[in-house]
Amino acid sequence: MKYYSLLFITLFSLYSLAQNKTIAPGEKLVYTASYNMSGLLTDIAQVKMEATEVVTSRSTLLRLKCTAATYKKWDNFFKIRDLYESYVNPKTLTPYLYKRDISEGGYYKFMQYKYNHKSKLVQSLKRKKNKEGKTWDENTTVNIGASTKDIISTLYSIRNMDIYKASPGDQQNFTVLFDNKETMITVKYIGKETISTQLGKKECYKLALSIKGSDILKGNNSNLLWLTADANKIPVYAKFKIPVGNGELKIVSATGLKN
Amino acid sequence: MKKLFIILGFAAAILAVILAVTPLSNLSVAPIIVAFVSGLIVLFLSKKENKKTKTIQYIFLLVIIALGLTIYKGVFSTTEIGNTEQLEQRDEDNLEDSKEILEDIEIDEDF
Repeated sequence: MKYYSLLFITLFSLYSLAQNKTIAPGEKLVYTASYNMSGLLTDIAQVKMEATEVVTSRSTLLRLKCTAATYKKWDNFFKIRDLYESYVNPKTLTPYLYKRDISEGGYYKFMQYKYNHKSKLVQSLKRKKNKEGKTWDENTTVNIGASTKDIISTLYSIRNMDIYKASPGDQQNFTVLFDNKETMITVKYIGKETISTQLGKKECYKLALSIKGSDILKGNNSNLLWLTADANKIPVYAKFKIPVGNGELKIVSATGLKN
Repeated sequence: MKKLFIILGFAAAILAVILAVTPLSNLSVAPIIVAFVSGLIVLFLSKKENKKTKTIQYIFLLVIIALGLTIYKGVFSTTEIGNTEQLEQRDEDNLEDSKEILEDIEIDEDF
């Protein structure tokens, strides 16, 4: 049994270094985030995930951008304008620069990670605003593991896994750097399921996500993600358990897909 | 027994009005139903006792207000994105800044 699990971990970690076969520049996914309490849905925000190409004088990178903006009716109550971006190697999805620029109901925070994979270091910059509107910076250096990524590139890496090779119950760990701390996210493959989405009826891979040692995303398969069971592996639906009710993320449109 | 339903009805009716005012108006349906049913029970109980209570009117009034607001919002409010100009500006600024930073970074094909 030990041998099998070791083999499995090795194989799966090899997957994480796998070539990018899923994400192409120009891809744009639009979602609606809603709150669901026993069937009563309330739309809260629009979430967009975009992949574009960024050319510098030395190289070409893939910019993975994720934005969240609340709908008009929410803006007076709690206005969210979040921007997350990660600049990755287009072939391996290894991140080189990560930025998180969030504005949530008057709270502003900016985080930037500059990766140095050779020395396994991350130069982190945290920028916050005080009450007078002045910003201050905090620079730190963080030691990271060989496969540590940020939240955005991890999301895309999950899509890049060879799920068709996995059998129900298999799981893989991802190390994510968030707020200058490394956190372990476990992704477990549950099985195939056909669900109806805005894009039509789709056969999907059902995955369960959990964060180790955290109360936010606990285990017990309560945080689920559905990826289409084709070469694009589009995340079409996600469900997150919160103390009262569920949070949901539903796809609205998907354009510029690779396959 | 009657008192319990009066309290329940009132609490649910007030909650329904509060929810109906906020953008969570869809969720006010549940307390509206609870308040309405409690109101009916109170009405039934007071008829049995042959007593008239004003509270029933208040509960129903609150229920009507909440229901009206919920239906109005459900019909007229559209789910459209608010002003994202600032976000787009930040997006562009970040992209420019990132390009400058990335100029210094050499991409290693091994990673």
